[in-house]
Amino acid sequence: MIELKNIEKYYANKGVKSYILRHVTTTIKQGEFVSIMGPSGAGKSTLLNILGMLEEPTYGTYEFMGENVTSLNERKRIELYRNHIGFVFQAYHLIDEMTVYENIEAPLLYKKVGSAERASRIANLLDRFNIVAKKDLFPNQLSGGQQQLVGIARALAAQPSIILADEPTGNLQSAQAEEIMQLFQKLNKEDGITIIQVTHSEKNAEYGNRILHIADGVVKGDVQV
Amino acid sequence: MFKLNLKIAWRNLWKNKVYAAINIGGLALGLTAFVLMLLYINHEESFDSWSPDLKNVYQIREKHDFFTPDNKEHWQDAVDSRMAALVKENIPQAIAVTRVDQEWDWNSGYSVKVEHADPVMIQKVKDADSSFFSVFDHQFIQGNTETALKSPKSIVLKESIALKLFGTTKVLGKTLKLVIWRNDPGQQLTVTGVVKEPQTPQTVGFNAIVRTGEKDKDPDNITAKHYCQVYAKMYGDLDSVSLNKTLQQVYVKAKKASFAKQKINYNDYYKDGKKPGLRALQLSEVHANPAIQLSWKDKLKPIVGISIFLLLVSVINFVNLATAQSVNRAKEVGVKKVLGSNKHQLLTQFLLESALQSVVALFLCVVLVEVVLPAFNQHFNVTLSFWHNPRLLLMIFELVMLFFIVTLLAGFYPSWVLSNYNPVSVLKGNYANGLKGTAIRNVLVVFQFVISVTFIIAIGVMYQQTKYVSNKDLGFDKGNLINIRTNYEEKFAERLRKIPGVKYIATTTQVMGNAFNIPEEITYKDNNIALNTVTVSMDALQALGVKIMQGRIFAKEYKQDTVNAVVINESAAKLIDKNPVGKLYDVKSNKEKYTFQIVGVIKDYHNEGFDKAVLPTIYKVTHLGGMSTTNNVLVRFDSENSAQIIRKIEAEWKVAYPNYPMSYVTMNDSLNKVLEENNRFMNMIVLFSTISVSLSLLGLFALSTFVAKRRTKEVAVRKVLGAANYEIIHLLNRSFLILVIIANVISWPIAYILIKKWLDAFAYRIDMPVLPFIVATVVSITIAILTVSIQAKRAATMDPVTALKYE
Ligand SMILES: Nc1ncnc2c1ncn2[C@@H]1O[C@H](COP(=O)(O)OP(=O)(O)O)[C@@H](O)[C@H]1O
Ligand SMILES: [Mg+2]
Repeated sequence: MIELKNIEKYYANKGVKSYILRHVTTTIKQGEFVSIMGPSGAGKSTLLNILGMLEEPTYGTYEFMGENVTSLNERKRIELYRNHIGFVFQAYHLIDEMTVYENIEAPLLYKKVGSAERASRIANLLDRFNIVAKKDLFPNQLSGGQQQLVGIARALAAQPSIILADEPTGNLQSAQAEEIMQLFQKLNKEDGITIIQVTHSEKNAEYGNRILHIADGVVKGDVQV
Repeated sequence: MFKLNLKIAWRNLWKNKVYAAINIGGLALGLTAFVLMLLYINHEESFDSWSPDLKNVYQIREKHDFFTPDNKEHWQDAVDSRMAALVKENIPQAIAVTRVDQEWDWNSGYSVKVEHADPVMIQKVKDADSSFFSVFDHQFIQGNTETALKSPKSIVLKESIALKLFGTTKVLGKTLKLVIWRNDPGQQLTVTGVVKEPQTPQTVGFNAIVRTGEKDKDPDNITAKHYCQVYAKMYGDLDSVSLNKTLQQVYVKAKKASFAKQKINYNDYYKDGKKPGLRALQLSEVHANPAIQLSWKDKLKPIVGISIFLLLVSVINFVNLATAQSVNRAKEVGVKKVLGSNKHQLLTQFLLESALQSVVALFLCVVLVEVVLPAFNQHFNVTLSFWHNPRLLLMIFELVMLFFIVTLLAGFYPSWVLSNYNPVSVLKGNYANGLKGTAIRNVLVVFQFVISVTFIIAIGVMYQQTKYVSNKDLGFDKGNLINIRTNYEEKFAERLRKIPGVKYIATTTQVMGNAFNIPEEITYKDNNIALNTVTVSMDALQALGVKIMQGRIFAKEYKQDTVNAVVINESAAKLIDKNPVGKLYDVKSNKEKYTFQIVGVIKDYHNEGFDKAVLPTIYKVTHLGGMSTTNNVLVRFDSENSAQIIRKIEAEWKVAYPNYPMSYVTMNDSLNKVLEENNRFMNMIVLFSTISVSLSLLGLFALSTFVAKRRTKEVAVRKVLGAANYEIIHLLNRSFLILVIIANVISWPIAYILIKKWLDAFAYRIDMPVLPFIVATVVSITIAILTVSIQAKRAATMDPVTALKYE
C-alpha cells in the first residue's frame, strides 16, 4: 500500500544542511499496524507527515496505493484525504466551535455524503464508541480520553483505508491510553484498516504487528511483533 | 454545509462578543453615515423625474450679467421674457413654451385671503402664462390642463394648499384675494384647478400657479426687460446640439435687431469677453446644474469623501480584528484541511462569517438611519425618508450592493489569509509562518490613523477660521439694525421716523441677505474701469454705520448729492485713485456722457458670505423713484430695547397695509444665515471626526488586546527573567506608537493640502495655523498610548505562572 524509496528530508540553514530523515526505504502493506518509535527529535513526526502528504520529502519517491504521490497537487491530495486517509493527533485537534456530532460529521460533508447515510454512519460511530450521550457537547466539555475517542471517530467517519496517528495517547493517562490502543487493534483486526502510529511507549507499540525504530533520521530497526 | 457554517459563524461571534460588538457597531456607524449620504443623493437625483413626459421639457438659459453676485456673465435661468416668443417662433418642435416666476429665496411669499378669514402668507405662489400646464404635465384632481389657466385671474392650487385654505379639494370656482405687494390693492382670483403633489421634488416647485395676466405679454418698451424663467416642451427626440446652435443664431439675430432699434452698437456691447448666448437645458439636467450656485454634486463632494473614509475606518477595524483573531482559528483551518476541505470551501466559510456580521450591521444601520433621520432632515433642510422613499427599490438594491462590497472588503482579506494557512505548521503548533498579515495590519492601522489625525487637524483649522470670520469686522454695525422686507415709501418712512428710538429709516439695493449688484463701466482719466453700483437713500450709509475713510458720506445739506455725487468703497478707490475725493469720472450711456464727482471713501463692508470678496462699488443717491423695488427698508434703533420699538413699527404697518403681514430680519440673523452653511459643514466634520477617531481607538483597543494576548507567553518569560511592569508596558506600546507617529507624519501634508483648498475658497481667511497640527499629533499619540496601555498593563501585571502553564 505504501512504498517509500530513499526518502530524504533536510532543512538548509545558512548553507548548512541539517538532515531530519536519511535514506528511508520501506514498504507498508495493507492491513499492517505499524508503530514508529524513537527518541525525541529523531524525525518520527516528520516521517508521519510525509506519509500523510502534509510535508514533501526533499528527495526520494513515495508511492501510495500504486500511485506516485511524491509531489501532489492540492486537488488530488484533498481527494486522498476525503477517501483514504484519516488523521489522529496527540492534541486531538477537535474543532472547538463544533459539537461532538458536528465534528464527526465534518469529513462526511466534505466528502458530500448524503444526509441519511451521514446520520446512520454517525449514529453507528457514536454507538460503537459509547459516546451517544455526549453528541451535543462541545470538546471542552469532554475529558481528554473522550476527546480522543471523538478524534478517532472523526478519522473513521469517512471510512479511510489508513489511519495516521501521531502520539495519539501522548496526553492521556494509561487507562485511557489502553482503551484507545485496544480500539486501534480492533479496527486493524476486524475492519482491516491499516494503522501507522508514532509512540514512545513499548507497551503501546506491542498492540501493533510491526515496529520501526528511528534514530537521527535513520531507520535503525524494523521488527515484526 | 451552509447551515453548519452559519451555526459555527454564530458560535464564533458569540464567543468573541466584545470584538463582534466593536466590529458590528463600528460597521453600523460607518454604514449609517454612508446610507444617509446615499439617501440624500437619491433625493437630489430624483428631481424632476415625476413624469416620463418631462424628458421633452427644456429650461431656456440666457447668458447675461444682470443679478449676478460677481457682476460677471453667467448662463442664467432668469431670462428676458421675450425669449419665450423667440423659442416658440423659431423652433418648430416647440409645442408649448411658458413663462413663469423665478424663485427668490428672500421672497417670504404672498398674502392670500379667503373671504373673511385672516390673510395667510403662502410661499411659492408663482405667476405664469396660460401654457404652464401644457409644459408641466401635472395631475389634476379638480379641473384639467386645458381649462386651468385659460382665462386670466385664475389660480391652480396644490392639493395641500387647497385643504389648508378651504378644508376641501372641491374648490373649483371659489375665489380668493391675492396680495403681492404690501400696498397692492390685491386681485380677486378664481380657483380653476387643484393638482396632486408629484412623487418627486421639482425644480419648478409651487404651492399655487397664478395667471394674473402679467406673464402673458412682454414689456412694450424695448429698453425694458422682464426677467422670468422660460420652459419649453419639445416634440419628440431632439438633438440638443443642433437645437442650441439654432437658438444661438436666432438669439444673436434678435439681439442685433433690438440693439439697432435702441441705437446700441452690438460690438461695443459685447466686448472684453462678453458674449451673447441662449441655450436650452434638458429639465433632467437642470437641478444638477444650477445657474450660479454650486451644484449639489459639488457641494456634496467633500461629504462623499468623508463618509467613504468613515466607512473605510470601520471596514479596517473589521479586517484588523479578523486577521488578529485568525490565530484562534488557525487550528480549525489546519484540521479542516486534513479532513478534506479545500481552500475554496474555507474561503466561503469565512466570507459567510463576515457576511453575517455585515447583515447584522446593515440592520442596525437601517434602525440608526430611522433614528437620526429627523435630526438629519432638520439640519440639512430636506425631507428624506427611508421607507416612504419613492425610490425604495433602488435604495434596497443599493443597500444589497453595499452589503456585498462591505462583506468583500472586510471579509476577503482575512478569509484569504485564513484559508491559506498551512496545516502542518498549524498542527505542529508552530504559528510563526501562519501569522502573516501583521504587515498589512500595520499598514491599515496607519491608514486609519491618517484619516483620524487629518480629521482632527481639519477641525482645528476650521474652528480657527470660523472664529476669525465671526469676529471679523463687517465694515458696518450689525447691532440694533433690522431690515423690513418691503419697498421704501417716503410717507411710511416718515411715520416710522417719528417712533421714539428709531434713528434712521433708509433703503439700499445692497445689504447682507439681499444684495443686487448692477455693473457699470466708468471712464476715469481715459481708463475704463468696471465697477458695481449700489443705489441708496440719503441716510442709508449712516443707517448701516459704515466707516468713513476719506471725505464725507451723503447728507441733506448738499444739493449736489442727489444729482452727481458718489461715495466709493476702498476696493473701488484702489482701482480708481488713491486720493479720489473731489475727482470726477464719466459714465457713457446711450452715447451720452454723465459726469460724477467722488465725495468720499468708505471702508469695504460685507454683504455676502466670506467666500466672496467685497466688490469695488460706487454708492449713489438717486431720486426715490429709482428705489421702489429694493425690498429693503433698514431701520436703525438708537436703543437696545428693540422689541418694543418693533412692536410700534408693526402697529404702524397694520394701519398702513392691513392686507399684508410685515416681515423683517435682524442683521444678526442675516449674518448667521450667511455663516450657516459653513457652520453646518463644520458640525458635520466634527461629528464625523469624532466617530472616526472613536472607531479607530476602539479598533486599536481590540487589536492591542489580541496582541497582548498573543504575547502573553513572551511577557511571562520576560517577567520571570526580571522585567519590571513599566518595561513590559513600554514593550507593548512601542510597536503601536511607531505606527501612530508614522500616521501623523503622513497626515500632515495631506491635511495641509486638503485644508488649504478649503481655506482658499474664502476671500477672507486666516493663514494656515500650525497649532492644530501639533495638537492633533499630541492628542492622537496620547490617546493611543492610553488605549494600548490599558491592555499592556493587564498583560504586565498578570501572574506569569498561569501564562506559562497554559502555553
Ligand atoms: N521547519 C523546520 N526547520 C528546521 N528544523 C526542523 C523543522 N521542523 C522540524 N525540524 C527538526 O527536525 C527534527 C525532527 O523533528 P520531529 O520529526 O518533529 O521529531 P520527533 O517527532 O521525532 O520528535 C527536530 O530536530 C526538529 O528540530
Ligand atoms: Mg513528534
